[in-house]
Formats: sequence, C-alpha cells, structure tokens
Amino acid sequence: MTRDSFRRDINREFDAISGSPSPALSARVRSALAEGRPARPGPVWMAGVAAAVIALIIVSVLVASNINRHQTGIVPGTIPSPSPATSPVVSATPSGSPSPVASPTSPAGAYICNSSAVGDTNAPLSAFVNAVRTGTHTGYDQVTIQFSNGQPSDVKIEPQSSATFTESPKGTPVTLAGQAGILITITGADGHTQYTGPTDFKTNYSELKELRQVQDFEGMVQWALGLSHSGCYAYTFLTNPTRLVIYIQQ
Amino acid sequence: MMSALMEQRPTAMQRAAHGDADSFALVLDPLLNPAYRLAAVMLSDRMAAEDAVQEAAVKAWRNLGQLRGDETSLRAWFLSIVANECRMARRRRWWSVVKLAEVESDRERGGLTQEASTDLRRAISKLSLDERLPLVLYFYLDLPLDEVARTLRVSPAAAKSRIYRAARRLRSDLTLEEVT
Repeated sequence: MTRDSFRRDINREFDAISGSPSPALSARVRSALAEGRPARPGPVWMAGVAAAVIALIIVSVLVASNINRHQTGIVPGTIPSPSPATSPVVSATPSGSPSPVASPTSPAGAYICNSSAVGDTNAPLSAFVNAVRTGTHTGYDQVTIQFSNGQPSDVKIEPQSSATFTESPKGTPVTLAGQAGILITITGADGHTQYTGPTDFKTNYSELKELRQVQDFEGMVQWALGLSHSGCYAYTFLTNPTRLVIYIQQ
Repeated sequence: MMSALMEQRPTAMQRAAHGDADSFALVLDPLLNPAYRLAAVMLSDRMAAEDAVQEAAVKAWRNLGQLRGDETSLRAWFLSIVANECRMARRRRWWSVVKLAEVESDRERGGLTQEASTDLRRAISKLSLDERLPLVLYFYLDLPLDEVARTLRVSPAAAKSRIYRAARRLRSDLTLEEVT
C-alpha cells in the first residue's frame, strides 16, 4: 500500500459520499449573506411537531384578532440595522375571498394565499430597483427586490393558477417554468436605470422555478414568478437597504 | 487586523471588512466547493451539507472581525467554522447512523474492487466526526499539513498524529511515512 494508492482509494470513497454541490449553492449563500440570516435547520419530526403546535397557536391568535398581514422593519435573527428603520404609513390590504392561512413559519409571519397590496404615502417619485436576488431555504424560497432610494408607492402581489404572464408593453404572452405563478406589480418604480443584472432567473428551486421581469415601462415594474404549484407566500419590506422580500412557501 | 489579506485582495476584502455582503460572498465563493465537500463527508448528507455551508458562511460573515492572518488563514478559518457547524448539525439532528444508501447510489468504483471498496466505505462510516475531519482536510481537500493544523486548531505535529491515527483505522497496515 503506497501513500498515493491510499489517497486515491480514500478520495474515491469521499467523492462517492459528497458528489457535487448543487449549482444553486453559491446563489443561496450569497442570498443568506445579503439577508444576514442563517439557514434554518432541516425538518425533523420533533421540530415538525413543535412547529405545528406553534402554528396552531399563532393561527388562533390571528383569527381571533382578525389580522391577516403586518409589516415588519426587520426579520428576526437579522443583524440589526445601524440606523432606525423609517416607518412610513403602510397599508396592507389583502383582497379577494378569504383563503386558508398556511403554516405561519415564514420569517415575515403567516403565509397568505390570495392577493395583497401595500402602499407607502412617503414614497419617492420613482423608486429605483438596484438589485434582485433569489434564494432557497428550508421551508421557503425567496425573492428580494432592492431599492436604492426608498419604498415604492404601491406593490401588488397576485397569485395565479398558471405560469403564463403578459409581457408589457408588447402584450405578448410569456410562459415561465412551473405550473403556477405570482405576479408582483410595483407602481412608481424604475427597473432599468440602476439595475443592470439579469431579468430572467432560472432558479429551479423546489417551489420557485423561474423569476422574470415582464414589465419595466412608464413607472411600472412587474416581476413574474413561475412556481411548481399554486403556493402561498409572505412578504415584508426591510430597510437599510430598502428591499421587498417575498417568501414562497415550499 | 487582516492587513496582509487586504494587500492581496484589496478591493473585495476591504469592502467586506466594511460590511459589504456581496464582496464577502465574492471572497468566499472559491471556498464553497471545498467547504461543501468537507461538510458532505462529515455529515454523509448532501442537503444537510449545503445547509451547514450556508450557516457557516453567515457565521463567518458575522465574525469576520475575528479573522487573523493572510489569505490562507481565510480558508482554514472558514473550514474550521464549517466543521463546527457540522458538529452542531449532527448533535441537533441526532445523527447516529451514516446514510450509506446515498453513498451507494452514485459511487464510481474505478480500479477498486467492490469488496475492497465496501470494506473501506464501511470503515469510513465507523469513523467519528473528529476522525474524518483530518482525513478529509489532508487527503480529500489536499491541504498542506500546517493548514490542516490551523483548521484543527492544533500543532502540526498533533495534526500529523491525528491524520495517521484516523488513517490507521481504515488500513491497519499503514505506516506513518506512507500516510504523511
């Protein structure tokens, strides 16, 4: 047995054990660093039971107090912002018929399964998008749209049962990867002046399959999400820098 | 602090040191593959390995101010965080059984006979996490002995001894010279 043959044999075994990292690992780490939030441990049966009990309690409280959505300034577990978060007047206005509230395990609170909208009366004339990121975590996939100069005036988030969207202003249909979708419409925004990154992310995560910009015209920016199936989501605006973070439940 | 490091990677490391997460991600990117391979062998679970690397990256980011030394220190420092994260993950998840099924699924046997390979695999599965670590660092990631020592936070002599002891558990007829 020589040193080289021992090394070769053991490395062959190690190779078989480890394989290669998924192509998404780098983006996933980048996203976690940007959020400053560690990954959550994977599901185990005890954690599942605990989560179910906590979910039941939180859902009961939410139903009792008739609260569907809230806006948070910071996600629990993140590095605290160096300066206090501004607190513009914000209205979260879930619309449509009530739908079941999924397990409230997103960092932003309960998942919701119907449309919602949020506005900011102190918004700049045009909020400039300067970064768009995706990430996947245990329990949810994540989309982050970052703005350089504040929160836009209106954001609508609308789930839909197909992955086909309309590309504006051309009006042509575009079908994303996946079977269902979510359309994010940001009014009072600009997606081209400061943002030079990709406009089509083929993520192939377990839920978020594709993220594509379908409009950036006359102050309206739309990003379409292709999902593996109709899913629920949660969202929040974070500050320093200002960013809209959408958690898609897996 | 980190002065030598900044001389070699002035832009990205300086920006990272000033709190730029994207720059830190850039600096860390070449280390993700070895970090993943280390975690995957230690945990025998690829998904958990990616979780551990992600968690370690965030911890490294939060504790970047504790980094001392030059660029090679970054790799040893980060890998030691990954190894710690694997220990914690293993405790957290009550790992007591190595997942051999996954190992079986896509292995390439090459010149090694199936029987010999199975014996070696079984022997690896019996190694404790702290026995696997020096083997992965030295043989699989091909780190020099002094960097293995820094990752393990022991002296080079102690690192050499750990490598030899772990290797002997795989092949009892190995001599120290053959291993290191």
